[in-house]
Amino acid sequence: METLRRIVGDRHVLTRSSELLVYENDALPGYHKRPSLVVLPGTADEVVAVVRALYAAGLQWVARGAGTGLSGGALADDVVLLGLHRLKKIISVDPIARLAVVEPGVVNANLTKAATPFGLHYAPDPSSQTACTIGGNVAENAGGPHCLKYGVTLNHVHAATVVLPDGEIVKLAVPADHEAALDLMGAFVGSEGCFGVALDVTVRLTPNPEGIRTMLADFSSMDDAARATSAIIAAGILPAALELMDDATIAAVEASVYAAGYPTDCAAVLLVEVDGPECGLDDDAAAIAALCRECGARDVRTARDATDRARLWQGRKKAFGAMGRVASHLAVQDAVVPRTRLAPILARISAIGTKYGVHVCNVFHAGDGNLHPNVPYNADDPDENARVHSAMKEIMELCIAEGGTISGEHGVGFDKLPYMEKLFPGDSLDAMCRLRDAFDPLRRANPGKVVPSHACREWISAPGFEA
Amino acid sequence: MSTVLTPSTTDELATIVRESLAAHRSLAVRGAGRWALALTRASGAATPLSMATMSGIVEYVPGDLTLTARAGTTLAEIEGATRANGQWCPLLPWGTDDGTLGATFATATTGPFRAALGAPRDIALGVEFVDGTGSIARGGGRVVKNVAGFDLTRLIVGSWGTLGVITEISMRLRARPALDRTLAVQCDVDDPAVLVRIDAFRRGPYVPLACEVLSAEHAGALGLGAARLVVRVGGNSAFVAESVRRIAELGTIDERAAELWTQYRALDPQQRHFTNAYSSPLAARIKQKFDPHGILNPNVLGEVAV
Repeated sequence: METLRRIVGDRHVLTRSSELLVYENDALPGYHKRPSLVVLPGTADEVVAVVRALYAAGLQWVARGAGTGLSGGALADDVVLLGLHRLKKIISVDPIARLAVVEPGVVNANLTKAATPFGLHYAPDPSSQTACTIGGNVAENAGGPHCLKYGVTLNHVHAATVVLPDGEIVKLAVPADHEAALDLMGAFVGSEGCFGVALDVTVRLTPNPEGIRTMLADFSSMDDAARATSAIIAAGILPAALELMDDATIAAVEASVYAAGYPTDCAAVLLVEVDGPECGLDDDAAAIAALCRECGARDVRTARDATDRARLWQGRKKAFGAMGRVASHLAVQDAVVPRTRLAPILARISAIGTKYGVHVCNVFHAGDGNLHPNVPYNADDPDENARVHSAMKEIMELCIAEGGTISGEHGVGFDKLPYMEKLFPGDSLDAMCRLRDAFDPLRRANPGKVVPSHACREWISAPGFEA
Repeated sequence: MSTVLTPSTTDELATIVRESLAAHRSLAVRGAGRWALALTRASGAATPLSMATMSGIVEYVPGDLTLTARAGTTLAEIEGATRANGQWCPLLPWGTDDGTLGATFATATTGPFRAALGAPRDIALGVEFVDGTGSIARGGGRVVKNVAGFDLTRLIVGSWGTLGVITEISMRLRARPALDRTLAVQCDVDDPAVLVRIDAFRRGPYVPLACEVLSAEHAGALGLGAARLVVRVGGNSAFVAESVRRIAELGTIDERAAELWTQYRALDPQQRHFTNAYSSPLAARIKQKFDPHGILNPNVLGEVAV
């Protein structure tokens, strides 16, 4: 600890329980783990020195950005927590190459703000974008509403300097088209803090679209809204975003300070946005509106101006926060299913909610088939807690059985660990463990997350292994 | 030259790898056998392993815009199946369409549509492969967004068969644009000022599907005469009309058939630069974890330093 204080300064090593409390959970309520201590380096050199000191001391650690994760991925259970939010320098913005180099603690929305004067933005836009960091986005391979058209974090990260858990510094980059080389950058994105810490990240910037049309279509049944989603995707129109919110979510949003003017008497709304050059945009918008109406939309309205559009989006982006009004806790899921299967799966999810007497609120990236069936509940009520978790388990098993996956953008972290063995055969989990062990042979970084330890054969056979 | 091994199932391939390990035999993996340079690099004592017979589309639900196929499936077969539904395999790599899906992903080969439609790393959703120990692993899945587990897909795509042999791939598809036009443009591509204007067009907002400045030799081979710029635009009628108006500002335009792109891809102008991918300690550890005895495509991406 003295070594850490020497590296980062006394005030950036936190040990008092009142200080550690802040770092006990991420944005997923319901889990609390207290770190042994918190260290907050302020420069890349300090990060490297801290990682090396922890390596030398034989200590495990967990990296953390802004703590907005939704899978318990940044929980540090009596191990060191390495906070990276002080590294918030935007090192360079190159408008010609459309690239920016940033430190890991740069807030997602601040990067877009820095790119705005050049007519550019950073495309991946998690709903937490006003708080979450680029380093955290890289670790989780974060998504967001506009990833439907523009791609997730993976598609926007070009290069990174990374300190491996043993203190070695490596440069990772997406190979150029003419280069025959391993894509270790691709393997690093989404590694949930288990492969090392990015010291700087080079990301692609995207030109701001010339025009935007944002539409709100409301439906008197969830089934119609889901069918409209499948119809739009199948028609080959690629909206910038295609989001679905059900009546329970709308009620929570409209009762909150984030009220967006969504109709409260409908079963579901679709928020659809198309963007791009002006010529052709109105035709795409008209085609989408027609498909919505064919599928039973009561009304399709288009945002009048930028203010109206921002209001429509605010309700969607703050929906998770608005559910704080409903109950003290919120169970959050992130499954992805084939887009043609949305309607029957949503019906089954609703039935599962009824069966367990829990209130499922759906707010999700419908265009990607990325569901967020959320359940507001009180974790302090043991009976309700048990029912919520049984319902969630059944929903996840349904999504897996339908050919889907357990996480589209939040990561496995701690919360979804039990589902990994249902999704992947043992040999696949073992291969994932081997990849992790190449980056972090001693498993110092984010221990016990993403892949269950007992799925790793080398570790089971190693002396002294405890599951 | 030893006999070519031709597994017909993933399990058969896993058995071949395990037997090869036991016999201290290395394997030179190939699809349609089009990567002459890589095959040369992997030659020597390695036994040829052809994936061409492990072919066929496994699952294709047009409404999902996703497709899963076995590694030996040709690009032509995927092109045929998707075209029937107004869809498009976005790979369109350099080379000919008798190349295989497995080889395209294993070599991460891009093509003239890369900027608009993505590279293999962007198009791949999931992969099944057999590693150098004979173990069968899957990464990713069939849905379009997936962060479950560490990303074996990105690890394997572009690893040139040196970490595992791809047996099956799930990928994204695209809808074919309502209108799709190819234009040859007569303009002086040796004039830097013209290149600046071409670049400005390419950067948008009317982003084309492809925009290629050709060498005189390639233009000749494609029967374009003096036209050295070719552009492909796709979208609805208003978008395409405005795009064509802007392209016409670059020079005299001449409509061509979309087959021009097939011919151009077959010219395969992209030279590959082979690095020694396994010279770093991190990469060497990865190789050690997935192909500890170095039996998969030895030498293709360089060797682990001893």
